[in-house]
Amino acid sequence: LLWRESWEQGKNPLASKGSPIHGPRIKLVEQAHNLFSETKEHAFESKAAEEHAKLLRVQHELEVSTKRPLFVDSSVSDTIRTCITLGYEQAAAKVRAEFKVPEKRWYWLKLLALAAKGDWDGLEKF
Amino acid sequence: MAQIPSLDNAPLNLTSLREQSRKELINILKNIRGRKLLLVDPKLSGSLNLITQFSLLKEHAVENLRHILGEPIQSDCRSILYLVRSEINLMKFISSHIQHDVSQGLQREYFVYFVPRRTVVCEKILEEAKVHQMLTIGEYPLYTLPLDEDVLSFELDFAYKECQIDGDTSSLWHIAKAIHKLEFSFGLIPNVRAKGKASTKVVDILNRMHRENAVGSDVGVPEINTLILLDREVDMITPMCSQLTYEGLLDEFFHINNGSVELDASIMGSQQSGKKMKVPLNSSDKLYKEIRDLNFEVVVQVLRQKATSMKQDYTEVTTQSQTVSELKDFVKKLNSLPEMTKHINLAQELSKHTTKPSFLGRLDIEHTIVDGQSYEICFEYIEEIIHKQEPIGNVLRLLVMFSITNAGLPKKHFDYFRRELLHSYGFEHMTTLRNLEKAGLFKKQESKSNWLTVKRAMQLVVDDTDTANPNDIAYVFSGYAPLSIRLVQHAIRSGWRAIEDIVKLLPGPHMELKREGYPNSSVLETQQEGLANLDKLVDGRRSLVLVVFIGGVTFAEISALRFLSSQEGMAYDIIIATTKMVNGQTLLEGFMEIMP
Repeated sequence: LLWRESWEQGKNPLASKGSPIHGPRIKLVEQAHNLFSETKEHAFESKAAEEHAKLLRVQHELEVSTKRPLFVDSSVSDTIRTCITLGYEQAAAKVRAEFKVPEKRWYWLKLLALAAKGDWDGLEKF
Repeated sequence: MAQIPSLDNAPLNLTSLREQSRKELINILKNIRGRKLLLVDPKLSGSLNLITQFSLLKEHAVENLRHILGEPIQSDCRSILYLVRSEINLMKFISSHIQHDVSQGLQREYFVYFVPRRTVVCEKILEEAKVHQMLTIGEYPLYTLPLDEDVLSFELDFAYKECQIDGDTSSLWHIAKAIHKLEFSFGLIPNVRAKGKASTKVVDILNRMHRENAVGSDVGVPEINTLILLDREVDMITPMCSQLTYEGLLDEFFHINNGSVELDASIMGSQQSGKKMKVPLNSSDKLYKEIRDLNFEVVVQVLRQKATSMKQDYTEVTTQSQTVSELKDFVKKLNSLPEMTKHINLAQELSKHTTKPSFLGRLDIEHTIVDGQSYEICFEYIEEIIHKQEPIGNVLRLLVMFSITNAGLPKKHFDYFRRELLHSYGFEHMTTLRNLEKAGLFKKQESKSNWLTVKRAMQLVVDDTDTANPNDIAYVFSGYAPLSIRLVQHAIRSGWRAIEDIVKLLPGPHMELKREGYPNSSVLETQQEGLANLDKLVDGRRSLVLVVFIGGVTFAEISALRFLSSQEGMAYDIIIATTKMVNGQTLLEGFMEIMP
């Protein structure tokens, strides 16, 4: 129950904060990750928390480098899609590699993003 | 048209039930002097609408009726009446209102009435906010709310989730209390059949209540003959399927709330678009009563037929000379015109959704999952819609069906789906997944699935279903007969005994019980004795069966039950009681933690 609680704790400030300072949030999620990893049954949860922290970090960097506050609090898939739609192909590829996105999902995301953008040339190419 | 359904045709005297609730409310109002402001819990306002109209409240000096909000009260009324469920958030609102008034030097009288009863937690909060002394606290015992002629609701929104996830069983007490209250009006129910953990528990509580406070035998011949209780947990497949009856579809797409839907006015053919309007849907509307339970395919035909025949009548009127009585008939038919227009508008809007390829694709896959033969196809379909990021509700519905029919998924696939879900929809859904796992709705495979056995024995998949002239309840899902209703069908006909092997395969214990009109006499009954009485008609009337769904029921299931009782050779009327009207969407929403 302890780790469950910490999970909730880590979650709640997540949802309520939209500020650009994400340090404390990442810390909380990492704390959750550590708590989860203490027991064996929660291997999946632990992994998820780890990835979540990583995602927040990546999103933070993206916001800084692109100067667009679009990324934090969206999912991995959303992040990739936003990247492609905005034309940051490299960043998208990086996120894909970092989270080991399976091929099938990657193609769907690319397809949807290019279609949303109306980038028919891009669609043609791929 | 009135939003309050007429209950005149109900097989049970439900009007008296509603009358009683109305009277109790008025009594509360009478006890408060002077003009008052009524502040209601937003969740309760729909229920209130089904009991009374605002004009009646006004007669009893209610100045205004508002929803409770966080802001301080703006009113010159000296008396404030709160009508609330026992909910912690609402208590905080109330305390902040009072504290604000105090700081402004306003003197008011406050009354807090809990629906249906107060809880210690809530009073504690009021005490801690130091406003307890300034309040008059009471209870408004609204346990059962008639939604329609044959449907009662206990209005317990999260009963299912509370029992499954939080281990909070207070709602079971509430259900037992509601049934106990019904027995005081309509007599002790002699035959009881229950399936599921919660259901058997409710029976226990009910028996205890009966011992403590016996239902006298002076009530006369019991009006309800049999009580059947069923946990939602027993059949989670059915609510996850897309409902295909007219009423079911209306609920799926527009969400029916307390017997009405709220729609954009433009759909109903009004000029002012963007405005919302409430459309009442209950059996007072004769046309609706006729078509609500039909498969939607048929509804369109029926409406078309009616429209054509009306047109024909019209041409006859204009071309041929008519006698006065014929004209009168015609005018009478014209009276149903507004109802026709309403349903044609609604049906047209629904067709927009039901003809979409994505909708048809989903129906297809639902049937494939229920059929339980092609694992790979289902797996790939679900994988694809996750990748396309279709609304998470749709995805989870299919996943739950998929997981249940397979008694869980192999660990590799389970983890794969979970990871893909978190990546596509965000890590905050971790809690949702945990909740689903805890409830056993989406989990790791641990044993072999017995779904195929259940499916076969209960004839859940019916191949040649004629939706226009149905001969089986499978018509409500165009070929899938809801498990829950099959169970009820057997329970009415022969009790659990005949299908005991199957019943045992489903979650939770089952019990059969015969009760008599004096305390301490409830004996567990396994014999078939009860049936002899069951088939007898009391005073030439059809006997009544009360079916209680703990954890909610869908409109399609109600349609199936209505169909059952209308079948030839069925000597029973069926009344349905539920903790709440639900569909797959609303059930799953309970599992997704709402974050501030």
